[in-house]
Formats: sequence, C-alpha cells, structure tokens
Amino acid sequence: MNYYIQELERIKEICFSNQIQIDLAVNTRNYLDANFAKNIKLDVLAHLQLSSKYHLIRVFKKYHGITPRQYLINKRIKQAKVSLTSGQSVSDTCYAVGFASINSFSNLFKAKTGMSPSVYRRATFDKSKP
Amino acid sequence: MKIKIVSVPVRDQQKALDFYTDVLGFVKKIDMPLSEGNRWLTVVSKYDQDGPELLLEPAPNHFEPAKVFQEELFNAGIPWTQFYVDNLQEEFERLTKLGVEFSMNPTEMGTVVVAVLNDTCGNNIQLVEEK
Repeated sequence: MNYYIQELERIKEICFSNQIQIDLAVNTRNYLDANFAKNIKLDVLAHLQLSSKYHLIRVFKKYHGITPRQYLINKRIKQAKVSLTSGQSVSDTCYAVGFASINSFSNLFKAKTGMSPSVYRRATFDKSKP
Repeated sequence: MKIKIVSVPVRDQQKALDFYTDVLGFVKKIDMPLSEGNRWLTVVSKYDQDGPELLLEPAPNHFEPAKVFQEELFNAGIPWTQFYVDNLQEEFERLTKLGVEFSMNPTEMGTVVVAVLNDTCGNNIQLVEEK
C-alpha cells in the first residue's frame, strides 16, 4: 500500500464515514440533474429525502462544495448555453431550462459567462452556421 | 483571465502522445516544433475540443528539480492530476485490457469513485467518476 492510498484511507475515515449523509448528498444531486427544468422547491426536495431544508443544504454543501441552489443555477446555465448555441431563442431557452423570469435568467447568465444570452447566442449560433 | 492550459511533465513526448491519444482517448490539438527536438504538444478531450488543453511538457529532462519532484510523487503513488469519466468501472476494464497498470483499483470516496493509473511517462493519473 503506497503513501497516497494510506492517506486516502485516513481522509475517508475522517470525512466520508457517514453513509447516510453521502447518500443524501448524492441523491439530491441526481434529483437536481434529472429535474433542473422544473420548478424545484427546496422544502419539497428535503421532504422527498426525509430531511429538513437546512440539514439538506448543509449536507449538500459539505459534500459538493456548493449549495443546491448554486448547483441548480450552474446546471441551468450550462444547459442554456447548449440551447442558445443550437439556435433556440432567449425566451424559449429561459423557460426550457427552468427559469421563471427572463430578467433573472439574463442577469445570472451574464454573471456566469460574461455575456448576455442574446450576445452569447449571436456569438455561438451564428458561428456554428455553415 | 482564462484557464487554457494545464501541464503534465513527461520523459518522452512521443511516447506520451501515443499513450494519451491511443490509450486514454484524447485528441492531439497542437504539435509545434521547438528547439532541440522539443515540441509544444497539447491534447484535448474528444468531447470538449475547445476546452482546456493538456500540455505534455518535457520538463523533467531539462530541469533536475522537476525530475526529482515527479519521481517522488510517483513513488508515493500521488496523482499528478485527474480526469473525469462517466463510468469508472467500464473505463478501468477497458484500460486494464489494454495493459494499463493501476496502483489503485476503483475505490469509493464519498460522493465519487476514484482509481489511479500509471501513464508510463512518469506520472500517476487519477480517474474520477461522480456517483
């Protein structure tokens, strides 16, 4: 057994010995991946996982490094980029990836990519056309 | 600022290119001759060819501390870097059939599964699957 494997075993014992919490973090992420386009309410999500909202947020952050809300936003923005690049309109993209308001979609998109959705669409969709 | 390049030190650039493309499945992006037989040689993920490039750089051949550092990491089993895969067990079986040596078989580590392989160029590389 080399040094790295020994260290990994040691860290695993310290950080990853609570299987119930790990399952909660993994199940929640899988749920967000499968349902990101829906209107996800965190208390409903917590209820589904038999957990409280605050415990769910804490456990998710502990194992994934970001909150469920941040994870969901990242997932939606990533999907929005695919949609805009394929030529979908900004408003269709906004609702298709789960945002309820074009304003908040545009603001978040710009904060995450440095471009507004319409500028991003022009830059990528037009470029991808023959 | 953008993260465009990350580097892996290799002893033999051609051997590294063969391993990283033919075995691991990356795609060659830039291959530019430099002085004394060295190359600016990068590979990218087949699925993200505009994404970050991996520079296969011959630092251990030209800078003794780089060689020492690489050797010590390798001997301790510590990965130089890590790559993400969709299904680690499948990738582990595919690579094992191709003769790739693993110093650590797929192992659960919290919300991920990890394994460590020998890239035959002086490095341990960790593969990661998010559960």
